[in-house]
Amino acid sequence: MKILAIDSSAVSASAALAEDGKLLGEYFLNTGLTHSETLMPMIQSILRCAKVPPKDVGLFAVASGPGSFTGIRIGIASVKGLAMPFGTPCAGVSTLEAIAQNLAHLRAAVCAVMDARCGQVYNALFRAEAGALERLTPDRAVSIRDLAAECGTIAGPLYLAGDGAKLCARSQSFQKLDALLPPEPLLYQRAWGVVRAAERAAADGKTVSPAALMPLYLRPAQAERSLKKQQGGNGT
Amino acid sequence: MREYVTASPEETEALGEKIASGLKGGEVLALFGGMGMGKTVLARGLARGLGVREGVSSPTFALVHEYRGRLRICHYDMYRVTGWDDLASTGFFDDLSSGAVLIVEWSENIENALPENAVRIRLRRGKTENERIVSIEGYTNENTGD
Repeated sequence: MKILAIDSSAVSASAALAEDGKLLGEYFLNTGLTHSETLMPMIQSILRCAKVPPKDVGLFAVASGPGSFTGIRIGIASVKGLAMPFGTPCAGVSTLEAIAQNLAHLRAAVCAVMDARCGQVYNALFRAEAGALERLTPDRAVSIRDLAAECGTIAGPLYLAGDGAKLCARSQSFQKLDALLPPEPLLYQRAWGVVRAAERAAADGKTVSPAALMPLYLRPAQAERSLKKQQGGNGT
Repeated sequence: MREYVTASPEETEALGEKIASGLKGGEVLALFGGMGMGKTVLARGLARGLGVREGVSSPTFALVHEYRGRLRICHYDMYRVTGWDDLASTGFFDDLSSGAVLIVEWSENIENALPENAVRIRLRRGKTENERIVSIEGYTNENTGD
């Protein structure tokens, strides 16, 4: 079965075409948030170069969150549009699981992190065991400091991956942990990781119709703060 | 804080053009002031000053309009935005770090979400029906000729 997968969840964007575990082609861009302009040309280019018309794709997969609201919407909308004409099944996968799939070949703890701003990250922890990936936590929004404290209790080597990996590695709380960064091609969320996560979703029967595909937004906690400044009172 | 007095919508628009001349990208221009105070007029001047040729209207229904001139512009209307989820779903937090100039009408509604370096621009009625007093708090490097 041919899988076309895309990721546009954060600053980088990528598209990949795979068939039965073989990566036929992948396109990766890390030039800024211009997904509405770049994602479709990437998809078109891969399908054309691979000589695979959209109707021959058996599964469309997308990183459906967490991530930037705009980026996730572009990804979901793109996949819906591609899949609807033929009623092709779709899989929305966790961006964090897709990130961790880059490092599934290791024997290590994998801390998948995405920048959620204001000292917060979207995170999930995984255990990689020579190709098998076990999830240790759900996807969540957490402060970098709290995450480092939790990671400090994990035995063995610890890898950071995702668009928030460098941010965490630079933080004081993570520098104490000797956390490792993978090389650049494995650092960011990529469509190949989305392919791997989608294979798992398909095996578990978790594919959906194009209409049922939904984004999974996750938002960092804003404390108990009102959005509007209260007049005359203590609004902060 | 600097204050400017404009005698007509045309002058308010012209002030917007002047403010635009000093923008470098990434600024958040938070507009305050009620109905009819000239927020959209000022926004139109800002967009024109950044080289936008198309018409600029209030994004009341779409919540945000995007324009491309010398810089990318995200023009928000927060009148109907009442919660953090609403705000996040508009893409506001994505745009904040995108290098675009953000023009935010009805900033009153999202004041606690404004970044610290936001430029606060308040419009209020002056002595006559068409006169407006525009106060600018925060650095914009506008070339207003004084």
